[in-house]
Amino acid sequence: MKNIASWILRIFTAVIFTQTLYFKFTGHQDSVEIFSALKIEPSGRILIGILELVSAILILVPGTVVYGAILAWGIMGGAIIGHCTVIGFEGDNLSLFLLGVAVWVSATILLVLHRDQLPLLRHMFEKPNSSS
Amino acid sequence: MVSLSVDLHRLSKFVNLALPALAVLFFLAGRFLSFYFHFFTVAFLFLSIVNYFYLYVQTEHSLLRNFGIVAQGRYLIESVGPELRQYLFASDTEERPFNRVERAEIYRKAKDIDSASFFVSLKQFDSTEIKIRHSMYPTDREDLIPYSLTYGEERGIENAYSITKPIIISAMSYGSLGRQAVRCLARGAKMAGIPMNTGEGGYPKYHLMEGCDLIFQMGTAKFGVRDEEGYLDEEKLRDLAGKDEIKMIEIKFSQGAKPGKGGLLPKEKLTPDIAGLRGVPMGKDVISPPHHKECKDKSTTVSFIRRVQEVSGLPVGIKLCVGSFEEVEELVGEMVHQNIFPDYMSVDGAEGGTGAAPKAFMDRVGVPLIPALARVNKILCEAGVRDRLKLMAAGKLINPGRQMLAFALGAQAVYTARGFMLSLGCIQALQCGQNTCPIGITTHDPTLQRGLDIDTKAMRVRNYVHNLEHDLCELLAASGRRSFDELSMNNLFIPEDSTLAPLLEDPRNLAST
Ligand SMILES: Cc1cc2nc3c(=O)[nH]c(=O)nc-3n(C[C@H](O)[C@H](O)[C@H](O)COP(=O)(O)O)c2cc1C
Repeated sequence: MKNIASWILRIFTAVIFTQTLYFKFTGHQDSVEIFSALKIEPSGRILIGILELVSAILILVPGTVVYGAILAWGIMGGAIIGHCTVIGFEGDNLSLFLLGVAVWVSATILLVLHRDQLPLLRHMFEKPNSSS
Repeated sequence: MVSLSVDLHRLSKFVNLALPALAVLFFLAGRFLSFYFHFFTVAFLFLSIVNYFYLYVQTEHSLLRNFGIVAQGRYLIESVGPELRQYLFASDTEERPFNRVERAEIYRKAKDIDSASFFVSLKQFDSTEIKIRHSMYPTDREDLIPYSLTYGEERGIENAYSITKPIIISAMSYGSLGRQAVRCLARGAKMAGIPMNTGEGGYPKYHLMEGCDLIFQMGTAKFGVRDEEGYLDEEKLRDLAGKDEIKMIEIKFSQGAKPGKGGLLPKEKLTPDIAGLRGVPMGKDVISPPHHKECKDKSTTVSFIRRVQEVSGLPVGIKLCVGSFEEVEELVGEMVHQNIFPDYMSVDGAEGGTGAAPKAFMDRVGVPLIPALARVNKILCEAGVRDRLKLMAAGKLINPGRQMLAFALGAQAVYTARGFMLSLGCIQALQCGQNTCPIGITTHDPTLQRGLDIDTKAMRVRNYVHNLEHDLCELLAASGRRSFDELSMNNLFIPEDSTLAPLLEDPRNLAST
């Protein structure tokens, strides 16, 4: 059950990321507009694209899900901040924003699902040891 | 002093405020200076959430609840403490169970490098340690009688088994050891010409691959030879005993690390392969009961020994850690009464090692080897049956010096488990039960087992045996005797306050101080 949920969320996140990073790397017009509005075009666009790629890979590899999820959580946190402060929600931007929120939520759920793999926090969630 | 020390309370209060404050600050910077600052905004937001979780949500860790993320530093440092201590702060003679000096000797023997010490020994030389007496008239090397010991000769059985080296690899099950380690040891045993005990891990699939002589151990759960209820399945035993490599059977009653407790293989280490060889289900700790189902008292115990002897047709030994000497006396009395003796008896000292055992058992249960061995030998002598069986010993007998003590106290061959682990390169990381052994010995993780190259490590095992044998011969010669049989307690210097002092045959030998 947990496994299926985890895989669905991971694939969802990775698919969205590969899609958007494709637009970023190819310099799609919408993408360029957004990053121009944020005044970090083009280096910010490329940087975020790379981070999305890394996150998508980490999230798919079983041993590194949590690291990918932390990264995704951060990137989408930035996206949400961007929408709220600069970009706004008109037209296409609304659906982009909602997609960002969806990925952010999915990353959060992944972190909760895989909490026993979190670096440092891990020990907090270890099940009491039954063997002596 | 107080004013100088870091006030954790104030520091944590500061950090608890600073984290969200910084998040807000970076947010403003991101809003009005450059969007790049938002990288920090989200990072500090994340830390603030973690900190909030520590302070207000979780209830397990008081330190984190009171001080938040600052206290994490303590847990971090604590988690690397053992390594730091081992690498930087532990002196050469203070680690347990084996200190660096003791380990280094094994490593050097295994690599066939000269293991002589220089200038001085780091041992104690006041009156508390037992020492070996040398003679003014050491034996010439060519006068030493070549070592040989034949198990089963007392009963005159057809399959009596002889060894020509006094050292045997003690029981370590496949399960507690990974398959790679088993094969390193088995191949090394074959090269060194010594037998290896299989441990209670069931059918010895990986041991058999290397073709060395084997002592099949039947633990209290009888893995490999059990029926569904855990009683002996005679057919399976007969099959196993029929294999060429299997030379003896050992019935394990108890072991020093957890006497009276049976065995336990943590479920983390249970693989389908092991479950198959043992005949147990996956996903649960594999528990061996504290005693053999057949053995309820002394008379059923002795008849069970006879039954195993008859079914297997091989020499059959027993392994036990002594709890009470009265029980041993009674058991020996029963053997005399029924005129049935095991072909050997191996005394395991309470200091013995294991893959996993409850701490209290490890620390507090059982009689240590030196007094146990001496008393068992005495009990057998007094009952007049010392020549009806062989006596063996285990318990930190990893170096020739300590092995000599065992021989002087009546042992005719010695067992060691951890000595051989060290010869494989064990660094004493103390993770045997967690499947994370960094050397790859007690783990089933193939990426860790990679560290063990079978050929290289088998050679180490062979060298270790070879060098032990060499040193033992020199010690024997120095003591002026020609064979281990000629050694007795009189070859030891025993301090007055030692547990052995009351057992000395000739009180003139007591070292009074
Ligand atoms: C990893 C490991 C596994 C062991 N497994 C067994 C076992 O299966 N059966 C047994 O009777 N003793 C077992 N022992 C105990 C040893 O055979 C031996 O009696 C004990 O460690 C004392 O010898 P030593 O001090 O030379 O290690 C094990 C010990 C170790 C370290």
